[in-house]
Amino acid sequence: MANAAEYSIDHTFNARRDLVWRAWTDPVLLARWYGPGVETTIHRFDLKVGGAWHNEMKWGDKSDYSTMTFQEVLEPEKLVWHHCSTDSDWKVVSNPMMPDWPRTLLTTVTFGAAGNQTNVRLTQLPVDASDAEIACFTNMMAGMSKGWGSGFVIIGDILQELTA
Amino acid sequence: MELTDYTTTPPDLNAVFAALADPTRRAILSRLTIGEASVNDLAAPFAISQPAVSKHIKVLERAGLVTRDIDRQRRPARLDATNMEAALNWLADFRAFWSKSFDQLDDFLDDLQTKDSDHG
Repeated sequence: MANAAEYSIDHTFNARRDLVWRAWTDPVLLARWYGPGVETTIHRFDLKVGGAWHNEMKWGDKSDYSTMTFQEVLEPEKLVWHHCSTDSDWKVVSNPMMPDWPRTLLTTVTFGAAGNQTNVRLTQLPVDASDAEIACFTNMMAGMSKGWGSGFVIIGDILQELTA
Repeated sequence: MELTDYTTTPPDLNAVFAALADPTRRAILSRLTIGEASVNDLAAPFAISQPAVSKHIKVLERAGLVTRDIDRQRRPARLDATNMEAALNWLADFRAFWSKSFDQLDDFLDDLQTKDSDHG
């Protein structure tokens, strides 16, 4: 069951592992790429077990705040953190859009050296989640490519017709 | 990760996803894309009773995916795509977060390596 609720993504970067590690662990560099098409500000970055990364992502006049707490820092091969949505005071909050979205996601990033390339695998898994949180995350992550697939194709068609 | 800009009250996505999790309800939505339909019309292709279809429509109504005319006699149901779009945007945002960030990191690493080789 635990695996069904895991989100994972693999990516090979065309750079040596030490450089990829730097891009993930130097807050100045990290802020340059973290977050899709948004302006990311890292307010705090304490790279050690138990240390916090306070992250703000701005788009338009809105901001999304989250706090990552490092669980493992194994240079240059592994980073593990707990990811929580927070308010602007870095207090953990539940997601306003989805009350059952897991409060804490265990995020594991591994960096595998392959010559001048680096294989990165990232996984996210709900931590200490209620059944409702696990169900919510499972539906979103694993279910989408299986039972959900056909449903989402239909929805895509529906939206296309409506916006045509 | 909720990057979608919602200016009005956020829809209850839990209700939206619960409503979409049922194949009969998805088929009903699919049928409604070609135009409004009464419970009678909607029940016809399914091996279920009209009351059962009515229940499904109520679930879809509560999730804000379907609206019904109160005044007209047959109370036809029709699609309301607003919440569906919110649900899809939400999923797309979450799933796109890392892949888009990784694309940005690809470009950024290119820059870093270029600078590295410039400086020796």
